[in-house]
Amino acid sequence: MLSFTLRRLGAGALLLVVISALAYVLMFASGTNIARNILGETATEDQVALKQQQLGLDQPLWQRYLGWAGSALTGSLGRSWFGSEPVAQTIATRLPVTLTLVLTAIVLTAIIALALGVLAATKRGWVDKLLQVSVVVGDAIPGFVLAIILAFVFAIQFKLFPAVSTITPNAPASAWLLSLTLPVLAIVINAVTSSAQQIRSAVIRQYERDSIRTLRSRGLGEGEILFKHVLRGASPAGLTVLSLQFIGMLGGAVIIEKLFAIPGIGNLAVTATQLGDVPVVMGVVLYTVVIVVIVNLLVDLLNGWLNPKVRVA
Amino acid sequence: MKFRKIVTGISVTAVAALALVGCAPGGSGDGSASADQTLTIGALADITDWDPAQAHVGHALQPYQAPYDTLILREPDGKLSPMLATKWSYDDSLTKLTVDLRDDVTFSDGAKFDADAVVANFTHFQKENGRQAAQLVNLDKAVATDEDTVEVTLKQPDPAFTYFLSQAAGLMGSPKALDGDAIGSDPVGTGPYVMDKKASVAGSQYVFTKRKGYWNPDLQKFGGVTFKILIDVTARTNALVSGQVNATLLDARSASQADGAGFTLTKSQVDWGGLLLLDREGKLAPALGDVRVRQAINYALDRKALVKSLQVGYGTATAQPFGPASGAYDKSLDDAYPYDPAKAKKLLAEAGYADGFTLTVPGIASFEAIYAAVGQQLSEVGITLKADPVPDQEIVNKIAGGSFPAAYFQLFQGEAWVAINQIISTNALYNSFDSMTPELQELIDEVQAAPTAKEGDAAAKKINELVVDQAWFAPLYRLDQLYYTDKTVTVVAQTQMAVPSIYNYAPAGAK
Repeated sequence: MLSFTLRRLGAGALLLVVISALAYVLMFASGTNIARNILGETATEDQVALKQQQLGLDQPLWQRYLGWAGSALTGSLGRSWFGSEPVAQTIATRLPVTLTLVLTAIVLTAIIALALGVLAATKRGWVDKLLQVSVVVGDAIPGFVLAIILAFVFAIQFKLFPAVSTITPNAPASAWLLSLTLPVLAIVINAVTSSAQQIRSAVIRQYERDSIRTLRSRGLGEGEILFKHVLRGASPAGLTVLSLQFIGMLGGAVIIEKLFAIPGIGNLAVTATQLGDVPVVMGVVLYTVVIVVIVNLLVDLLNGWLNPKVRVA
Repeated sequence: MKFRKIVTGISVTAVAALALVGCAPGGSGDGSASADQTLTIGALADITDWDPAQAHVGHALQPYQAPYDTLILREPDGKLSPMLATKWSYDDSLTKLTVDLRDDVTFSDGAKFDADAVVANFTHFQKENGRQAAQLVNLDKAVATDEDTVEVTLKQPDPAFTYFLSQAAGLMGSPKALDGDAIGSDPVGTGPYVMDKKASVAGSQYVFTKRKGYWNPDLQKFGGVTFKILIDVTARTNALVSGQVNATLLDARSASQADGAGFTLTKSQVDWGGLLLLDREGKLAPALGDVRVRQAINYALDRKALVKSLQVGYGTATAQPFGPASGAYDKSLDDAYPYDPAKAKKLLAEAGYADGFTLTVPGIASFEAIYAAVGQQLSEVGITLKADPVPDQEIVNKIAGGSFPAAYFQLFQGEAWVAINQIISTNALYNSFDSMTPELQELIDEVQAAPTAKEGDAAAKKINELVVDQAWFAPLYRLDQLYYTDKTVTVVAQTQMAVPSIYNYAPAGAK
């Protein structure tokens, strides 16, 4: 298990190098004159040239990347080109907000999707059909449309929740709960339908196995069969779906954060990319890759713990 | 048993959520004015750096007005009035500006505001090379001749220099704070409000409270001002309608929701949209080298129909690039090219393009509907409009770099001298093929050297007439900015700013 973990961490580090290099190159590949974008249309050519020099844009691309990577290795992600705050600090204030949003959404998705998936797989009949229809409807409505509908109904019409975030670091838990309810719902509705469908299929596949039939013939109760055998067998598929949902949510949070004005990392990523704020974009890329690597590793370890058959040496 | 636990857990969470619903925010006020009433503004963009040298223009300038005063105050109608500077005057060469300052002002860190502080700010602004560095490009040196007088020497006459002192270049930060990094997140100025660092969250909201002992209490109309960063227009609309902000800028699509909910609309015009017919020598598109073709494009456009279809009626059709507040404006030029497709065809035929030609412009994703509508009108006289996709962040470089013979763009309508250096002079970014005629250059020189604003405006008007006659552009409309406020607040639009200056807001019912 230790060597597996170390191998995965090694692969994660390699992934980090490849993706950061790619992202860095892509930021400049379009030939965008970032110094001009910063200084605006009224700046003279001399001022633009000076800005390029101030930002180190007059150096070759590889040299700039190595400079950035070297600093990143020592723990410094530099400062925003449009602000004075260190990038690490900017991300540190925003990451908890996004993680709270996404983690709450994924926990709720896991609970609801598991309940619905198991219910549909065990009861079949109209419950199953209802789930199938919900999947089609849930998948067909984009998250941002759901978000707009939820905000209109629950924030504007009924005034039950704030329409835009009131989250601040010192805000009471109630502000966090109220501000995150609608965004989480918008994410969860989409995620639940497709996850429940996958869990349902995995559970049904388990029920169709000969071993389960044998257990039944031995007189084991349905509850024991479900919790001890079926769910354990279905867990790899379920966990993989949820891990993919989690990673997808990190991307999907961009739009939700924008619509609800949540000061998270998604909003930061969009603004920084539009401005061409390379240090911030690279910081966001770095953190996102690390999160994805950790989530995937955790899912693999959890799978091995739940189901020794898939355990890797 | 396990199921029961889960169900119990979910129930507890749901009850907790419902209980908290009772704490959900309601409206932001009942319409009564009070001295301590606070103002919450839905701001369009984040302020990533509060250093005055990094300040921007328009809606991005507004938040800086809370902690910082400018040397000169720009009134809502554009008139320049004293603020930190009590008076200012040029010498005959128009390159020496003497500025007299108030002597009773302090910064929020206790430092005294004086001539040395002004010099320090100018030096810092130039050194930092920030987002509006161009505003001080003509500043040669500034010298404190006594405690409350600064003598500014310019490299050449700059008719917009005093205007710039009411903008980013005029924001005064405490000299003690300018050299450190802290000012980036903790502004220190002489302004009417001070930042409440504890309540402010970068990227989300910036909270300011009234500064005690401020030198001009008349400008402190609220107990505090909060800027809530709402980049998305749907978020701004929802925040306004649900009562989380008192005032914000919306667009034509979201306006009906605010109108329906009874919010007050204040309209102003800041930008114009239209075709920049850049290749006036016909280097990339030979047809554009002929003035008759450029005029034909102007006659082919049914501007009023475009205002209706593209801007939902929120705009004014115009054929001139200068705005009403610029001094170069001539109302009659709005109708310089009435919709006349027959005349357009005739002019094209005379120029040898009876069968039309293809005009290629950079294609920006958000302007797709505009290309379709304008392209359809041009196609009726035989011109094919082709939009080659260009990513948003490259658009300015592509247009300025001369990669396209023409472009549809929406540009700020500033003061005459600002506009001339934006779209007409050979220094202008949007004169990408360096078009110029001796007559035009003479007029530009005249504006620059005009001893009075009146004389400058007269020459600028002639420039406007000339570029309209020569069809350097095919403007379509001036766009309405739709600024909404709730019942607790009144506001006056600010010339050439999409959002008003913070001095223009007042509690409803206040005198």
